[in-house]
Amino acid sequence: MGRTLFEKVWDAHVVEKLPGDNALLAIDRIIAIEITTPQPAAEIAERFGDRLFDTSSIVGIIDHVSPAKDSETAIQAQAMRKWAKAHDVVFYDVGNNGICHVVIPERGWVEPGITLICGDSHTCTHGAFGAFALGIGSSVQCGAMLAGAIIQKKQKVIRINVNGKLHPSATAKDLALTVIATIGFQGGTGAVLEYHGTAIRALSMEERMTLCNMAIEAGATTGMIEPDETTIEYLRGREAQPKGEAFEKKAAFWRTLCADPDAVYEKTIDIDGSQIRTVVSWGTNPGESVSIDAVVPNGDAGSLEYMDLQPGTPMRGIAIDQAFIGSCTNARISDLRAAAEIFKGRKVAVPTIVTPGSQAVKRQAEREGLHDVFQDAGALWTHSSCGPCLGMSMGVIAPGMRIISSTNRNFRNRMGTGGRVHLATPVVVAASAILGRIGTPDELPAEVPA
Amino acid sequence: MIISGSVITLPQENLDTDQMYPGKYLSLITRKGLGRLLFEAFPTGRELLEKNPGASILVAGENIGCGSSREHAVWALADWGIRAIIAPSFARIFHENCYSNGVVPVVLSDRAALDACFSAKTLDIDVDNGVVRKDGREIARFELDPLRKDFILHGGFLEYMATKVDQVREWKRATAASR
Repeated sequence: MGRTLFEKVWDAHVVEKLPGDNALLAIDRIIAIEITTPQPAAEIAERFGDRLFDTSSIVGIIDHVSPAKDSETAIQAQAMRKWAKAHDVVFYDVGNNGICHVVIPERGWVEPGITLICGDSHTCTHGAFGAFALGIGSSVQCGAMLAGAIIQKKQKVIRINVNGKLHPSATAKDLALTVIATIGFQGGTGAVLEYHGTAIRALSMEERMTLCNMAIEAGATTGMIEPDETTIEYLRGREAQPKGEAFEKKAAFWRTLCADPDAVYEKTIDIDGSQIRTVVSWGTNPGESVSIDAVVPNGDAGSLEYMDLQPGTPMRGIAIDQAFIGSCTNARISDLRAAAEIFKGRKVAVPTIVTPGSQAVKRQAEREGLHDVFQDAGALWTHSSCGPCLGMSMGVIAPGMRIISSTNRNFRNRMGTGGRVHLATPVVVAASAILGRIGTPDELPAEVPA
Repeated sequence: MIISGSVITLPQENLDTDQMYPGKYLSLITRKGLGRLLFEAFPTGRELLEKNPGASILVAGENIGCGSSREHAVWALADWGIRAIIAPSFARIFHENCYSNGVVPVVLSDRAALDACFSAKTLDIDVDNGVVRKDGREIARFELDPLRKDFILHGGFLEYMATKVDQVREWKRATAASR
């Protein structure tokens, strides 16, 4: 019987089958972030002689809050720094860092066919490369740092075919939100979403990362995409990848990593890419999203109340108080370029923050002059951080404030206690920032001549 | 192991870990004493805790613990005194985090049994035998992951992982050539 892409990667990492359909699964890469690593590091130091299984498999990074914003985050960052140094772990410190799900790919630490874990739910991002990449808790991370493996149940696999050509106005974020709305906020629980089809093949690596990033928002363990020449060309020459023949040897293996034609899936969902349109969230989970041309649906009463919205209100036209472009979903260079196109020659109507996904993205954006475009428009251009996405720093919103955001979670209290979040693409966030309400670029007045 | 205690109920679906433990406190590097921050940004939850000191069983709605992987949510629940959670479904990472911390995740899909739990003042959860009792009467049976159940009953998830070090090392050495 044929195997799915997931099964091929899974099978290649099973060290031992364990009771209850569990496996002891070998882990190739551990991304150690400052939020979830100090606790397991201390545990191993106190109880297991401070012995790590394989320090070369670990990449450390200051990720969520950079630089420290108070004593707690300074203590946290310092604990990470000392630990990484003591164990000779590769470490991306303040200045040379960014959001781990942006930095790890851009430095080449993820590749097709590997297993990768990180104590962050958006680790599913890395499935864009055809890796089995999953978010885990600190205890599981601790076990992996100790033994080079995790205990995991074999996942079901849901095949999502996206064929046709994406409509010009649709982005990977719109596709991600459409998938979640289609299978439901809980629809992927216990499963891997394997993306196939011509519309997927046509996506750049950055777009694939945006799509896989939101697999967790359907409850899925991860998203996965077969590697192809797009994947190989992205990885060629990256810091952590070998050069020359050694790279070509790996690439030859990656080209073989695909689902068999007779692979069996838990279920298959077909989406017509040409039908995808601009999507924006109205409620308090990413599944509560609609077309921007729709009205607020007669949805969950609690969500409507929290969001202070009435069913029937057009999504276009909902007034906003703040706008944010950033996060592991939508803050890569292509996202910033797309937003800059909209900001160019215009002014924002509400406080707007643009936070690049990594310091490398920041530098590239500045080489292209995008920072001037954002700042000329009146937006705040920051260094890289997770920022207000999870209500930690750099733009947290007040109770009752409504933000349009290129992030991934519109949960209650997420970006600040009592705050209301509408998820959208960077382009829609930029257009809405200029309009002061939810809207799209076609509603904007022509550029003001310079 | 029998967990007997009073019950608090949060019937809403999709109670995410941001509600249990706000992101702004992810800066703490300890996992002790986090119960004081449980449900801090979630007024309904906070009130419930204040009205029910000493409760040890949480009965919750579908997809509890969705969203962020933060184990702080379970650390806070356990520190506050929650020893078992009954719900129709659990988000994957939260489910694993419960097991890692000895918080018993009881999956009950039977509506009548769930309703009986929601209306209970106290419950007894027989972890060894997978039975929920109300007023001494069995109202539901449940199954735990056989491997992780052992970690709950006898502790030692990390000790177990430590016993696997040589095996994983040998496996990695043996498979290195083919990778």
